[in-house]
Amino acid sequence: MSQSRTGPVVSFQNVSKHYGSLKAVDNLNLDLRSGETVALLGPNGAGKSTSLDMLLALRKPTSGTITMFGSDPYHAVQHGHVGAMLQSGGLMPEVTVRELVTLVTSFQPRPVPVDITLKRAGIADIAGQRVDKLSGGQTQRVRFALAIVGECELIVLDEPTTAMDVETRQRFWASMKEEVAEGKTLLFATHYLEEADQAADRILVINRGRLLADGTPDDIKKKAGAKRMSFRLDGADEAFLLRLPGIVSVETRHDLVQLQTDDSDGTLYALLDAGYRPHEIEIGSLGLEQAFLAITAEDDQANDTAQTQPAEEASRK
Amino acid sequence: MRDMKGTLALAGAEIKRLRRNRRYLLFTIGLPVILYLIFAKQNATAYGVSFAAFYMVGIASFGAFSGAFNNNTIRISQERKEGWIRQLRLTPLPPNAYVVAKIIASMATSVPAIVIVLLLGRFDAGIHLPAWEWIVIAVTIWLGTLIFAALAVAIGYAFDPDSVQPIAFLVYFLFVIFGGLWFPLSGGLRKFGEITPTYWIVRIGTDVISSHTVDVTGVVVILAWLVGFVALATLVVRAKAEVL
Repeated sequence: MSQSRTGPVVSFQNVSKHYGSLKAVDNLNLDLRSGETVALLGPNGAGKSTSLDMLLALRKPTSGTITMFGSDPYHAVQHGHVGAMLQSGGLMPEVTVRELVTLVTSFQPRPVPVDITLKRAGIADIAGQRVDKLSGGQTQRVRFALAIVGECELIVLDEPTTAMDVETRQRFWASMKEEVAEGKTLLFATHYLEEADQAADRILVINRGRLLADGTPDDIKKKAGAKRMSFRLDGADEAFLLRLPGIVSVETRHDLVQLQTDDSDGTLYALLDAGYRPHEIEIGSLGLEQAFLAITAEDDQANDTAQTQPAEEASRK
Repeated sequence: MRDMKGTLALAGAEIKRLRRNRRYLLFTIGLPVILYLIFAKQNATAYGVSFAAFYMVGIASFGAFSGAFNNNTIRISQERKEGWIRQLRLTPLPPNAYVVAKIIASMATSVPAIVIVLLLGRFDAGIHLPAWEWIVIAVTIWLGTLIFAALAVAIGYAFDPDSVQPIAFLVYFLFVIFGGLWFPLSGGLRKFGEITPTYWIVRIGTDVISSHTVDVTGVVVILAWLVGFVALATLVVRAKAEVL
């Protein structure tokens, strides 16, 4: 492998994909570095699948360029640099699992022995079964096997654990970690925030085809700006609490106060300065889910305002 | 080199699937054999040869074309919808590997369909021909299979599994009936038949048997359909490349 260790494995430069007036992907810029495990996080229709399709040379960007291992995506796929599993990928029916895995292995320039693939994907026990007679979770594991039949450098997975039960999902991530430990780069799209939080070193949040946040799970939680604070306080006055510095939202139930703040120190000091003595004080980061919702909601709001303004101008004429 | 090896491996897997498919075997081999055993031995002539000789060429073509066409249109449409074609695009195989493998598999599996009916003609109906005539008849039908393999690709890519079946049936029925694979054409029907490739494939066979000169028009019509359907298949496959 003469692959440079320093250059990005994947690079999107000003990549857009438009379907008529719909901007499925809107000026996306990002680099993936060798050995990273990256989660692509976004609501349905955010442009995750379209981005992965373009990365895998299934679709052409309307504008911009994607490079993978220094060449275009098509050549990277042709040279076996990438193993991929897409939600929309299907399997050949009427053959056994082993026959299918053997067949797809034979297409690879650097094949992995079939028995090893079967074991890694956890399908050695169903190798003799016919592909069209498998359950949803089993099918998903066979599709995963097809992504790791070659010695590739990048693995791309679109919602890999859909249709898997909890145990299978855990086993899946355990085998995934082994692949990553060999130095492979992993990019996966997911709906499960927990999965992104636990498995990824880096999260890309996308919404409406644009990259909203890019960082470690902790960075993303911070990016949402707010901290979560809770305490007990008798006779708490909600109107007063809302005037505290940095406050985003306040919720009270009896003496229990839960609030979100941009400035947890400032909020707390102001509360103490006002003579209050709250107890059972807890301060923590927002969960990834709340952070994610905050980031995308903010973007949706900004977008709605941007869209309604020209409309209002137009109606004034 | 690796490209070709991969495509051939895929074709091999396709052939293996077909061999396991009872429905496929029934329509490409079982049905032609039964039809031939029941209807071949009639005291009649067609296109200047015995009915048994005409029927041998017609039914061998019927079996071979059924295998290449009926089965492939539905499969291609389903495999496109279910994402198998997309899955293959994620492998180092060349993008045309799927289509090429389907056509190779059709051509390979049409061989037994043709040979078995010709053997029935020879040994059940007692048709005696010089070796080269058998070869010309078999090869003509075999190459004609390519026309239907190409059409199957075009239709399979163009339509969803829900609508593909009636469309495929209609198209095929037109070529079988109006091309005269089941019975010889005469009068107005023959005028219509002369624009189909199926009519001319049968006529080349019967002309060879009757030692009649093969009509150049027939060769031109067959080639025109072949070029037309290959072009159509190429266009449809290209047009669908992004929406697989």
